[in-house]
Amino acid sequence: MELADLVHALRPVSNLRAINVASVMHGRLGVVLGLAVVIAPVVCLAQAVDKRQYSPYAQQAFPDRVFFGDTHLHTAYSADAGLAGNTLGPDAAYRFAKGERVVSSTGVPARLRQPLDFLVIADHAENLGLPMAIHRDDPRLLASEWGKRIRDEGKKGTVEGMTAAYTMWMSKVMALQDPLADRQDMQATMWHELTDAAERHNAPGRFTALIGFEWTQQPNGNNLHRNVIFRDGKDRADQVAPVSAYDTRDPEKLWDWMAAYEQKTGGRVMAIPHNGNLSNGLMFDDVTLTGQAPLNRAYAERRMRFEPVYEVTQIKGDGEAHPSLSPSDEFADFETWDNGSFGPQAKTPDMLPREYAREALKRGLAYQARLGANPFKFGMIGSTDSHTSLATAEENNFFGKVSALEPSADPIRFNEPITGRFTKDESQRQTHRMASAGGLAAAWATDNTRDALWDAFARKEVYATTGTRLRVRVFAGYEFTAKDLDRSDFARHGYENGVPMGGDLRSSPAGKAPTLLIAAQRDPDGANLDRIQVVKGWLDAGGQTHEQVYDVAWSGQRKPKADGKLPAVGNTVNVQEATFTNSIGAPYLAASWKDPKFDAKQRAFYYVRVLEIPTPRWTTYDAKVFKVALPQDVPASIQERAYTSPIWYSPDGT
Amino acid sequence: MTNSPERSRWLREPMLHFLIIGTGLFLLYQFVRGGNETAPREIVISEPRIEALAENFGRTWMRPPTPQEMRGLVDDYVKEEVFYREAIAMGLDRDDTVIRRRLRQKMEFVSEDTAATAEPTDAQLQQFLAQHPEKFVEPARVTFEQVFVNAGQRGDAARRDAEQILASLQAGRGSALPAEAGDATLLPAALENASPQEISGSFGDEFSKQLEAAPMGQWSGPIASTFGLHLVRVTARSAGALPALAEIRPIVVREWQAQQRAQAGDSFYSSLRSKYEIRYEGEIGQLLQQAQPAASAASTQR
Repeated sequence: MELADLVHALRPVSNLRAINVASVMHGRLGVVLGLAVVIAPVVCLAQAVDKRQYSPYAQQAFPDRVFFGDTHLHTAYSADAGLAGNTLGPDAAYRFAKGERVVSSTGVPARLRQPLDFLVIADHAENLGLPMAIHRDDPRLLASEWGKRIRDEGKKGTVEGMTAAYTMWMSKVMALQDPLADRQDMQATMWHELTDAAERHNAPGRFTALIGFEWTQQPNGNNLHRNVIFRDGKDRADQVAPVSAYDTRDPEKLWDWMAAYEQKTGGRVMAIPHNGNLSNGLMFDDVTLTGQAPLNRAYAERRMRFEPVYEVTQIKGDGEAHPSLSPSDEFADFETWDNGSFGPQAKTPDMLPREYAREALKRGLAYQARLGANPFKFGMIGSTDSHTSLATAEENNFFGKVSALEPSADPIRFNEPITGRFTKDESQRQTHRMASAGGLAAAWATDNTRDALWDAFARKEVYATTGTRLRVRVFAGYEFTAKDLDRSDFARHGYENGVPMGGDLRSSPAGKAPTLLIAAQRDPDGANLDRIQVVKGWLDAGGQTHEQVYDVAWSGQRKPKADGKLPAVGNTVNVQEATFTNSIGAPYLAASWKDPKFDAKQRAFYYVRVLEIPTPRWTTYDAKVFKVALPQDVPASIQERAYTSPIWYSPDGT
Repeated sequence: MTNSPERSRWLREPMLHFLIIGTGLFLLYQFVRGGNETAPREIVISEPRIEALAENFGRTWMRPPTPQEMRGLVDDYVKEEVFYREAIAMGLDRDDTVIRRRLRQKMEFVSEDTAATAEPTDAQLQQFLAQHPEKFVEPARVTFEQVFVNAGQRGDAARRDAEQILASLQAGRGSALPAEAGDATLLPAALENASPQEISGSFGDEFSKQLEAAPMGQWSGPIASTFGLHLVRVTARSAGALPALAEIRPIVVREWQAQQRAQAGDSFYSSLRSKYEIRYEGEIGQLLQQAQPAASAASTQR
């Protein structure tokens, strides 16, 4: 790994893989020819066209690799992580993501089954690095009365001291009063340490460390957080200091800041919102936050310019669909967190349509028709939001939301409240046993580099998983047929004759219905697949939105029942032993699906959901390993899944 | 620096730091306790304490506490302090995982603070590189193409089909893109300079191991993965090698510093550990005692 760091740092980076491959192959060609072992026809063919095209794959400029990563990891530089027991900084976080063994903050040795391909450390901008300043007795911190006090509390070495320090900081964030407003130089130091660490660990082609931070705005405790992710390296990122909720309280102002960054540095930056499920209806609201004005075209265009992707699944619940919004979808209730937020306001059912991704995508179609621009035309990814510096997304290797909740038999791991601490009604509390051990972001890209991955996010050629590394590809076009599924040049054919996930279908020739080509393959070390589904949302002539979930490919010989529902795949999970077997399901599923209810005049989107067979939930592994009682209010087994970014259809091609 | 090397090394010695910190803590403890184990149990409500309680109240309620509320806050503080002291005296902290872990963490902080962050010399780095080749060795890398044969779809015919495709590939027949001779898959048709770990990430361990034995420059196989059968052609291999220091200096520095921190933590722990005798009880205890003690736990990293 280490030599690669250097070799690849020296290699010129391009997001056109073709160029990289061609230059590499060119050098090799001389050697290979000298040894005279090359198969003649290939060489002749290559020389006839261009020497640099020795390898036929060199011409594959389309994305043919999928990379898995986490865009949302906190280290001890985040105040709410470091003041809650996380002692691991960015170096340990990168090492862990790259597959090294790391000892967790609570002393538990940890390692990933498979390393990640990329990582974004997204520490909270609000008093960035405060725990490090406390730990180091930073004189700039101690120069302020508040700083001295939080240092004293933070360094007491007692749970009380830690809690007091945490509360001191949290109350400032909730009140949006920066206690260290005159200590910007300290924040700059911390930011530069983080960008330093990213540069040290970024190894183009092998492991990508994208630079980022989290803007943590939560009016009244309602979650509007965004992770800000740079396409650029330290040279550009260091020209700014991360913008915090102290600086701007409105996402629109965050976009102003992002535009100013791009203007100043010539770089690129995007923001990824998350946890609409804890926003109490604010994430996909019909009005602007500050002005309370109805959304307009300029808002919609700016939002999608700066926020092309939404983090749909993470530790604090899955936000794809809600059972009350999608009552006929039997899989909609997955790791649902629909009770309360971080603030005192109770959750009410009218908030839900403005919190869940599927509903937002549907409402976006109506906005597109009304405004000529869609404010909710986002792609989808998952990530962890771990505050442990350990990007763990697997059920049998889950280090929890914060360091105090790392693996142990201690009841705190199941019982600690995460939301609803401030609501009067205790039923609005959601505890850590509800935590979802996930998720991951998957990107189809040409190469594992900052620019190639960032560009994949920008064009929404990404998908979310709840922690599994299953692969899924989808192309939509008007000329595809079932025979195309057998093509071994599936991807090239898909790009040449259709659009990939995240794309826009051009208007339909002669009202022809589009066909989706879909292929899904299980995680090499994971569970088999149950089924592939297409989720369609559309807008009718009367302006009403609709949705339908279609089963399009499934394992075994199952036949849909009279009501159209496919029988369940079965369940091999042994709860006592926390095991499952791949005796059911399929390692590979593919489908060619033509929309049976296509209406060329109706706006629509299609996204793919892939379900695995049931596997033990992390709480079930915990019960086995630590010999603790299995909690009764969470399922013993779950069906891990992937959600692709949608493909949109519009009659006028917009 | 005008210090002699011996003197500055002595000043950097972690043990010295621990001794100074330890003595300081002991003196402080004696001072606070009045140096007398039987001193009256006293809880001091100092002015700064009262101010802190009032301010904490004000943060939540946006106004100062009334005298009655202030009385309540102080009473609550006294209650907390009494319970805290009694709980410590009763040893309740010892059974509490959260408290124990937090205290352990604080100790690790103390040790880490003393770790030298000095810039290493080239000689030190060279030695470190030689002593820890496993940290820096470049893994063996393989460039290969693969043609996938879907055993799930083709069933019993899969192996025979694979051999036919292999013969055709070896004869140079068919498409310019070899992968087109096989079945549809989401696996990459080729990987360049891939390490065994990267290959396992896409194809699984079984495939990665078998690929090591595949001949260079010609189509061979089929080899099996968790997905089916694969025909492979390896076009380049590089053996693992240890790079020179000049090529990877920043990485060696990173690792050297990480090790310095870990060592400081370990020696801190050993110095404390040496003050304790471990007594094993029972039959299993005897067995454990006979076994070699485990290497000291690695310290936390930053």
